[in-house]
Amino acid sequence: MQPLANVTRLQPASRAGSIQIKNVGQVFKTSTQSVEALSDVSLDVKPGKFVVLVGPSGCGKSTLLMMLAGLRKQTSGTILINGAPIVAPDPDRIGVVFQEPSLFPWLTAEENVEFPLTLRGVDKAERRRKAQEALLLVGLDGFAKRHPHELSGGMKQRVSIARGLVQDPPVLLMDEPFAALDEQTRMTMGDELLRIWAATGKTVVFVTHSLTEAVYLADEVVVMSARPGRIVDHLTVTLPRPRTYEMLSGDAFGAMRDRIWRHIRKSA
Amino acid sequence: MTISSTTLRRMIVVSLILCWEILPRFHVIPELFLPSLSSTLLAGWTDAGEYGHALMVTLYEVAVSMVFACGGGIIAGAVVGSLPRPRVLIMPMVSSLYAVPLVILYPVFTVWLGIGSESKIAFASIYGFLPTMLATAAGIQTIDPQLLIAARSMGATLTQRVTRVIIPAAIPTVLSGLRVGGALVIVGVVVSEMLISSAGIGYLISRYRTILDSAHVFAGVLLVLVLAVAFNAIIRFVERRAAIWQTGTHAGADAAGGDAPAILPATA
Repeated sequence: MQPLANVTRLQPASRAGSIQIKNVGQVFKTSTQSVEALSDVSLDVKPGKFVVLVGPSGCGKSTLLMMLAGLRKQTSGTILINGAPIVAPDPDRIGVVFQEPSLFPWLTAEENVEFPLTLRGVDKAERRRKAQEALLLVGLDGFAKRHPHELSGGMKQRVSIARGLVQDPPVLLMDEPFAALDEQTRMTMGDELLRIWAATGKTVVFVTHSLTEAVYLADEVVVMSARPGRIVDHLTVTLPRPRTYEMLSGDAFGAMRDRIWRHIRKSA
Repeated sequence: MTISSTTLRRMIVVSLILCWEILPRFHVIPELFLPSLSSTLLAGWTDAGEYGHALMVTLYEVAVSMVFACGGGIIAGAVVGSLPRPRVLIMPMVSSLYAVPLVILYPVFTVWLGIGSESKIAFASIYGFLPTMLATAAGIQTIDPQLLIAARSMGATLTQRVTRVIIPAAIPTVLSGLRVGGALVIVGVVVSEMLISSAGIGYLISRYRTILDSAHVFAGVLLVLVLAVAFNAIIRFVERRAAIWQTGTHAGADAAGGDAPAILPATA
């Protein structure tokens, strides 16, 4: 495994990456009414855990993720990452991968991955080196000079993941990153993500609509209810790692997926 | 045997040129209506000094008008496109103004500014300004908001979002606006020269027409044609340099089927 030798350099020195969400609420105000999107959400995520948020549409799971990313301010409560509050986007602590790859079409894959480093004036050689490492990690080292329109949907999302990892943040937030991909690519990307996660030791918070994906990927699944979003269940996935395709048809897998589904059906 | 569209296009141009020479020569078309290409070129060659001077005047007017029309159009379009308040105030006005044949203003400009270059520049600038401004405004409004959110998540400041996201993302639309705006600048200059003027190619065409010297009229027409084609070539060159990423749908389709090989280096 040649790639992994280089990959080890991306591991954080300390096991930073803890997340504490305390009594967080979010109210959207329009001119005529106010809508409570999230109500009293509290969650502790230990460093290095893979946590998946699921829930019916509009339960505020993406909103919660945007607040973790510092892209949205909560109405009440506090969010701590690495023990310090989040008040604005902080690429040192948090990398974000969106549903759409959100790559800049005028930049090559490599330049896209370098983008966060370019923003902070990192010199070119250093940028290139880190981008190469990140692209190698996501299995795209041969595609550095391609523009996004020359890449498939799965490859674009890999570039996006590489960009989220390039600054080596302890926390990676992923907002339905595979939702726009076809089933087969989605499965492959899930395995890829688990491999990357195992290689880097990041804390991952992952939002999805797919219950299978949730159970397959997660250490812990957090189930949220419909608006106002609250946490209704928090289950630990006991399946051993590495996860395999065969587990999908096992009893343990089915039991966990059913338990999640019952919550969602109740609140939908 | 199949003929490529490029070859076909060249053949059409060549046969048109041949027709231009042959039809008048054999009196299929009277020389007064269409002088043959050779007599047109000869007329241009004999009075090369006169045409050269006229070309200089026209080029000067076109160049200055381009700066006003395109520069002003881009700045105004950027303001209108990015700020909602000016947009609400100005856009309905601009859109309805767009349908007005602006040439009705030209007599007024000659009263204000005289029949020299100034009135042409004023008219052509306004003529080319509107499409450039509309295209720029549209270009900025259609920027994928997800790109800006992604940039924010990577810690981009407002200035960085403008210089590194908004401007590059708007370039293709702005260029297409420049193409239309620039073409209208040429039209505006030549038309105004033909109406009321004392110099320039339009003036020469108009003057030779009054004395029914068709060969000299067509020499002027040819010169305008060359000017327009040259302008188009310059814009296309710039487009190709600045916006390679817009044109590559073919490469994108090819890569869409190529995800499997991309996975190999990672899993091997």
